[in-house]
Amino acid sequence: MEIFKRSMDPVMAMVIVGILDIFLFLVVGAWTVGGGETMLTGLAAKAVMGDQINRIPFWAYVFKPTFHYWKMYISLGMLFGAFVGAVLSKEFYWRVPRRLDEWVMITIGGLLMGIGIRLAFICNVSTFFAITPQLNLGGYLAVSGIVVGAWVGSLIYKKALES
Amino acid sequence: MHDNSVTQCLASFVFAAVVGFLMQRSRFCNTAALRDAMLFKSYRNTKALLALMIVTTLGFTGFMSVGGGHPIEFEVGVNQLVGLFLFGIGMVLAGACTVSTWVKTGEGNIGALWALIFTFVGMFLFSLFWSAYYWPPAPETMSTTANLKGLQFGVANAATLQLKTGIPAFVFGLVQVAFLGGIYRAIVRRERAAAQAREAPAEPVSRAAAPAPAVAQASAAEDAGAA
Repeated sequence: MEIFKRSMDPVMAMVIVGILDIFLFLVVGAWTVGGGETMLTGLAAKAVMGDQINRIPFWAYVFKPTFHYWKMYISLGMLFGAFVGAVLSKEFYWRVPRRLDEWVMITIGGLLMGIGIRLAFICNVSTFFAITPQLNLGGYLAVSGIVVGAWVGSLIYKKALES
Repeated sequence: MHDNSVTQCLASFVFAAVVGFLMQRSRFCNTAALRDAMLFKSYRNTKALLALMIVTTLGFTGFMSVGGGHPIEFEVGVNQLVGLFLFGIGMVLAGACTVSTWVKTGEGNIGALWALIFTFVGMFLFSLFWSAYYWPPAPETMSTTANLKGLQFGVANAATLQLKTGIPAFVFGLVQVAFLGGIYRAIVRRERAAAQAREAPAEPVSRAAAPAPAVAQASAAEDAGAA
């Protein structure tokens, strides 16, 4: 099939995603990823720590680890969909960063993303595709933050590319 | 929060599986939408980001005008500005956002998986410091009312706008769509102008413009390859 041979037009793809997002908004709520990732973190922490996790107020009161949380299945669904797409179009292969500085940048980047999501209570997906389209004031604050952040990040990234 | 049911989880999974597939096939990346526009003046992903925002703004504000859907009851505060600023730096360094970490992991990208693991670590570290003692103070940022201690502004979205002004939320949505559409048009014009400059007959101009697509290609290759 044609779709497995070449890349799809991203504008077309995102218009379809937008329509699906409206359906999800009507059924459970708009597309978001950060909440599901937090729940996965909680479940992983509980698996390691057991009941000790209840000593941390965040997990005891705000995010009680449970498997019955719809946002978590968004993360797992994206992983599954992307895997199917990659395998069917023969694009699945192991890619491993080669240089040490790449590993360092990815590690710092991941940590900053995790801390940022929990500080803001939202991730980039809920910023752009959930709360800003709902005209939420928090969305405008978040968009301003992420644009400046991406600019600072780009300066660092450029420096790293040149060195 | 709505009551949790198997249907909700299943709907989410099916939605996300289609999204993951479309993301993989279109190579859309939120990080690239911002980074490539700033670094390489390449707008392939930026246009897709705007298109998605236009569609969802129309849909969400439309249904919110009649009290439909499930808008997020969400406490607005300065923590969103600071949090997403940190996130913005992080996503460019990691070369992936919350979506593309999952999508690229699904393609077999170990770097993306590594970013994902450290996102979890970051979340866990933050949860340790999330209390009444450190900024932002936990109880104040969870209350839906404005307060100075947590630098919170209360709840403000299309529904509250409609309630306060009496004007349907959809009208405000249209204003936002016009704004986003304006940016989209400006990008298309800029791309057209750049394409014309490249095809211009004058020999030196085309030579000068030649490195630009090479850089853009390098960025696209980087998207496909590294995390």
